[in-house]
Amino acid sequence: MTLLTRRAAFAAGTAMLAVPSLARAQGAPIRLGTLTPLTGAGGPYGPVMANCVRAVIAEVNAAGGVLGRQVQLVSEDDQTNPEAGVRAARKLIDVDRVAAIMGTWASSVTTAVAPLCWESRTFLATVSGADSITALPHNGWLVRTQPNTTLQGRKFGEYVLELGAKRAFFMAPQTPFTQSQFTNMKVALERGGGSADLLIYDANKPSLRTEVDQALRARPEVIVLGGYTPDSTVLLRDIFRAGFRGKLLAFAYSVNQQMIGSLPHEVTEGIYTLAPSPAEGSGGFDRVKRIVGSDNPDPYTCQIYDHVNLVLMAMAAGRDGTGQAIRDSIRRVSQGGGERVDNAVDGLRIVAAGGKVDYDGASGPCDFTDAGDISDCRFRYEQVRAGRQTLLRIA
Amino acid sequence: MVSYIVFLLVIAGIYALLAQSLCLAWGVTGLVNLGLAGFFAIGAYASATVVKWGGAPVPLGLLAALAAGAIAGFVVCVSTLRLRDDYLAIVTLGFAEAVRVVASNEIWLTGGTDGISGIPAGLPRDWGQGFHLASLAAVSAVVGAVWLALRRLVASPWGRALRAVREDQVVAAVAGKRVTRLKAEAFAISAAIAALAGALYGHYTSYIAPEIFQPLVTIYVFLAVTAGGNGRPTGATVGAYLLIAFLEATRFAAEVVPGVSALQAAALREMAVGVALILLLRFRQRGIFPELNQKAPA
Repeated sequence: MTLLTRRAAFAAGTAMLAVPSLARAQGAPIRLGTLTPLTGAGGPYGPVMANCVRAVIAEVNAAGGVLGRQVQLVSEDDQTNPEAGVRAARKLIDVDRVAAIMGTWASSVTTAVAPLCWESRTFLATVSGADSITALPHNGWLVRTQPNTTLQGRKFGEYVLELGAKRAFFMAPQTPFTQSQFTNMKVALERGGGSADLLIYDANKPSLRTEVDQALRARPEVIVLGGYTPDSTVLLRDIFRAGFRGKLLAFAYSVNQQMIGSLPHEVTEGIYTLAPSPAEGSGGFDRVKRIVGSDNPDPYTCQIYDHVNLVLMAMAAGRDGTGQAIRDSIRRVSQGGGERVDNAVDGLRIVAAGGKVDYDGASGPCDFTDAGDISDCRFRYEQVRAGRQTLLRIA
Repeated sequence: MVSYIVFLLVIAGIYALLAQSLCLAWGVTGLVNLGLAGFFAIGAYASATVVKWGGAPVPLGLLAALAAGAIAGFVVCVSTLRLRDDYLAIVTLGFAEAVRVVASNEIWLTGGTDGISGIPAGLPRDWGQGFHLASLAAVSAVVGAVWLALRRLVASPWGRALRAVREDQVVAAVAGKRVTRLKAEAFAISAAIAALAGALYGHYTSYIAPEIFQPLVTIYVFLAVTAGGNGRPTGATVGAYLLIAFLEATRFAAEVVPGVSALQAAALREMAVGVALILLLRFRQRGIFPELNQKAPA
């Protein structure tokens, strides 16, 4: 009896493993992969990102595909965990043989997955912000669309001064970008005669009142929030309860419309937010709005929209549906002059006709340095007014 | 496809080591160790820091991991001597979280949340497929060695005494067994095995970070050991390989389910894990390889 059950279990397992080989037998479409967090801490962002890529690829396929081939998308879940992420990436690389992996979100997942990608000649496009990522020995196999934290930290510092404040207090959970963000913010503030303090909290705590009290003891004029949506929600409640009447500054991806809707207006009123932004009048951002059906798509969705468009056009420009072609040609479609486009359908048509394109995306102009960082980035300054994010300016 | 399967076999081997560690502590001795991920992390960091920053050869790193794991296991065990069952489970879970928080925040020691990347493997990575096959051979050899050793230990009089402690420690004490010492020994050996798994994981994948060592890993290993049979090293080992086969098979199964989005597929996979556990506990409570009664010597 034991033997029979054991055999049955093995047979079922093997049969399940054999399934994809059947699906592989037909045609030779170009395959691309997304590796976004569908479960775990990144769960609020990953599903929207994967859907956005699916929509772009469907449009491109309807317009005839890339190099006359259809494009197929495989979406895997990194579970916001480097161990699970590495297993998923292995599957994308070895079984699906994708040309590019897009959208790795947590910096730890990106750092874990990056060596697999460059060893197997698979292109990696990421939204992770940690400075260390583009310093990896990736030889051009990696780009990221998130401005690095050195730049973001400086922008936060300068904005605090602009709000007429000198004493800032930075509250954040420990993440790969916390230290660098704070250090650069502090440098910018001190240059303008200000000062900054840092408090690191545990993102899983249900209440952060003691942390808020500790911050208020420093009598800050501005509290800068450096966390993600779930912990920032807890933090904002406790800051409100503590009666803080100074200014609040946060990342637009954490204080987003979804969070504003879930909190009373008086808690969120007046919060300033900052986000990397496309140039005014860029059509990419409007397209993402239409795809996700929201007026305020999060920056990660905007970035992965740019990843997939760039990857598709780079394959066309490199005349090959491989990671190598993307690596060699991505800067030929992202920068260096040419006809400005904000989507792959237009871009592919121009490239096929022998033209040169310069992509300006939903997250920004998407021009890359040799290390894979974006070289130019504008920021979108907004303020929450009566439960709505109101645009102050783009600069 | 071949390299994917080789990779999975290495990862499954590492899970098999964790499963054997849990088999000794939980299955044989009855110490519910929810802190497995913590010992896994300690081993990974001990070996990675010694090899990457200390410049020591990889075998020395593995020894350092074994020592660090055993010491940590001993300390955790003697500081929780009066706890059993649920209470021990809570404290060990807390221990694992403490390890993770320390690893995230003591940047001078662990590299913080950036983790440690570029850990040397002791084998040249540019061998391509050869590197993965050599790693598979090395990890499988370690799994086999630990399995043999554990089988002998569990069958020995020492193992019998551990089972006596598991069933009723008062009775064991009355029979003249030194309960505290037995528990400390078993827990330290178990922690050392988990630490060894961590060290191998770091050297193989070249990157470790605090986020890897989440309670999710511990839960997966509990699942593997429950599936295989928690009282037998064979059961735990087979359970770990089955677990990885199952986790990866759900990936492909979810792909062929028609009309589900990526998010729904991810949710389906997590549901499949839950359903599998329920079915297992309903139809095969003692696992695929249930513990056997030892016959009294003639």
